[in-house]
Amino acid sequence: MTVLLRRLAGHVARGLVMILVVTTISFLIIRSVPGDPLAARYQKLVEQGMAPDAAQRAVEALYGFTPKGGLWEQYLGYMGGLAHLDLGQSLSVPGAGVSTVLFSAAKWTVIPVLAGTLLSFLAGVVMGVYAAIKRTGVLGDLLAISGSLLHGVPQYVLALLLGAIFTTLIPILPAGGTADIVIDPGFTADYIGSLVEHATLPVVTYALAGYGGWILAMKSSVVTVLGDDFILAAELRGMKRSIIFRYVARNAILPLFTILALSLGLLFGGAIFIERIFNYPGLGLMLIDSVNNRDYSLMGGAFLLITTAVVVANIAADLLYTVIDPRVRSGEGTA
Amino acid sequence: MASEQGPPGVRIRGLTVVYRTPAGELPAVSGVDLDLAPGTITGVVGESGSGKSTLALSLLNAVQPPGRIAAGSVEIDGLGDVVALGGEGLRRARGRHVGYVFQAAQNSLNPLKTVGKQVLDLGRSHGVEDMRGLLADARGLLGRMGLDGARVLDSYQHELSGGMRQRVGIMLALVLNARLVVLDEPTTALDMITQATILRIVREVHAERGLTTLVITHDLGVVAEVADRLAVMYGGRVVEHGPTRDVLAGPRHPYTRGLLGAIPRLVGDIGEARALPGRPPTLADVPADGCVFRDRCPLRMDVCETGSPPVVTRGSRSAACHAVRDDEGDRRAVAATTGEDQA
Repeated sequence: MTVLLRRLAGHVARGLVMILVVTTISFLIIRSVPGDPLAARYQKLVEQGMAPDAAQRAVEALYGFTPKGGLWEQYLGYMGGLAHLDLGQSLSVPGAGVSTVLFSAAKWTVIPVLAGTLLSFLAGVVMGVYAAIKRTGVLGDLLAISGSLLHGVPQYVLALLLGAIFTTLIPILPAGGTADIVIDPGFTADYIGSLVEHATLPVVTYALAGYGGWILAMKSSVVTVLGDDFILAAELRGMKRSIIFRYVARNAILPLFTILALSLGLLFGGAIFIERIFNYPGLGLMLIDSVNNRDYSLMGGAFLLITTAVVVANIAADLLYTVIDPRVRSGEGTA
Repeated sequence: MASEQGPPGVRIRGLTVVYRTPAGELPAVSGVDLDLAPGTITGVVGESGSGKSTLALSLLNAVQPPGRIAAGSVEIDGLGDVVALGGEGLRRARGRHVGYVFQAAQNSLNPLKTVGKQVLDLGRSHGVEDMRGLLADARGLLGRMGLDGARVLDSYQHELSGGMRQRVGIMLALVLNARLVVLDEPTTALDMITQATILRIVREVHAERGLTTLVITHDLGVVAEVADRLAVMYGGRVVEHGPTRDVLAGPRHPYTRGLLGAIPRLVGDIGEARALPGRPPTLADVPADGCVFRDRCPLRMDVCETGSPPVVTRGSRSAACHAVRDDEGDRRAVAATTGEDQA
């Protein structure tokens, strides 16, 4: 257990440094983008006939602050805020904190993408095993080809296709949004049903888009393990097929866990195209809006969230490995 | 269970194993007859590609695709012809009746499970009810081989050295009380001291548990160390077979003689060791007719091109060579000159 804790401490320290570096870089990049949202708003008010002084005060009132200092001061201010987990105020959604905006967008991304990823992982892994076992037959070929095809089709093409089929040709699913607006949000069967209905297309798109990669990865992993000596050894020792199958599956799935953990980290990046196509107000859409609106603090917050998620996923992947692969565990113990 | 009876004998008859290749089905083992007498250790030597590992796998009817047993039978006492076995019957025979020990360099253990858990998997596969007893047996066997049984059962493969893994392999082959044990290159990739230890263990365990043992190796030294009987394979055929001592002291087949001549001595000039010229045939260029060894043979005659050499048996020894006469074996063979006609 101490090994695990020491490992965790090292990872957290490295992760924090990584987050610091990425935050700094994204801060600098965002600030060097041309355009100034406060000036733009000020300009607009003045154009609408407001006196310069009044416009200045209105902008200050609207956002609660006016950045005056140089880049360095702004940076220190931003980092100081971060230290208190204060991401600042959103510029495009007046009066709302960045964390509030992020949080409300995140739930529309995390849950569907998580569902889609896990669905595609499960289906891909099971079918991958099957494709590997039947690799000399027609069925195995078909499975592998289906994997390659789905892997090759871009997500947004899939999304458009599914959307066209299920909202226009056979209109059984809603075209966009998160729920029917006529239904009051709440913990009611109607609302939840509507949520599920609206989430179906995005989730299926995520699942199909991921499935191809998983089936191909699992197939090659299983084929490799099937060729390993210990599988033949187990066979020659008269082990039951079910036990040998478990030997194969557990060894083959190991490398896939890393990919899974990493893809879960990227989940916070949002699926920009898919959220756009299905008009799903997740992190991807929010990111586009924040860029369009020159919402520095929201952009910064989104990047920070993505970075943190990736770093955390990396740590999780590594710790997971420590738990499921004894070789990694003792490798650290002797180091 | 066979454990109350004596060690099983094995009779291999006309065993032919072919591998499917783009050039058609090519034989890796052709028409091998070989007896393993109950309670003996038989060593099979041969170069890479001589078919010795394929022969070993045939004892478990476990030739891997694209290979298959095309003809012949492997009759094991208490089990019958394993070539005719299949499905569950074959699975139950493996491990329970015939133990197979892998080359030490091969990883014959699941890297994600402790040795003990794999012993339990083995027990579960063979319907063992007394799991505690099985683990105790495993511990005992490991202890017998000089290991700390309890610790090894708690270890993963990567925590064990090559020599330890090999002893674990032997334990797994014996823990279900198999009386016929096949060891495929048991000492390859081990250092000299460990080799000697493993061979001593093989000999001692063989005697204590009353086993019939087959050792596959490319190392004549290993055979000299452990085997009662020696079979020399070349190009998928057993070219010479007999008591180890006799064969090593007076080899009849020119190939056996070449092998022995290629071993450097501890004393004397290194130049006395003569490498066998040429290279062993591959699956694709094993001659279909005539003697498989003729291209490298110093005693080559016309008849070697056309006729397969008959197996000449004298007493407990046999050899398959035109140059070996059934009446006066070795001396004639040495003196044999080309052009001599054979019946």
